[in-house]
Amino acid sequence: PKKNRKKRPHKYWDIPPPGYEHISPAQYKAMQASGQIPTETTL
Amino acid sequence: CSRLHNRPTFSQTILLQNLYLNPQNAALTADGSHIMMDDVQAQQEYDEFFEEIFVELEDKYGEIEEMNVCDNLGDHLVGNVYVRFHREEDAEKAVADLNNRWFNQRPIHCELSPVTDFREACCR
Repeated sequence: PKKNRKKRPHKYWDIPPPGYEHISPAQYKAMQASGQIPTETTL
Repeated sequence: CSRLHNRPTFSQTILLQNLYLNPQNAALTADGSHIMMDDVQAQQEYDEFFEEIFVELEDKYGEIEEMNVCDNLGDHLVGNVYVRFHREEDAEKAVADLNNRWFNQRPIHCELSPVTDFREACCR
């Protein structure tokens, strides 16, 4: 049976990095691997 | 991690690398000047983070047996999240899908993990 949980808006899930909304996460990782974008964004 | 890890073909457990960024992680700046929140706030943030992951993964991929978040300061384990699903198929499905999702403005790095008992787990 499906449990009833309060639905809340996602704070973390499916939030892309600003400026990269148009590409997929897999493409983004491929670009990181090839050095086109830095691996860790600085906070 | 530079050590030799065997990556299983089937497993109930998945690893989400560096998913949790502890706002109080002292490794970010040497003098701790980045720390903008107290322990209570940090705990609340962590609870929200944990719940958001747990609820989403269970809703979307299947029943979860156990979930662990690493919060040590070692750079190769920090923020790693381990989730053990009840069914291997669910874990497999989750890995395939999660590797093409964003989380907190970062792409998710996800793989199957050989860990079955978290108390016995250590990096070999």
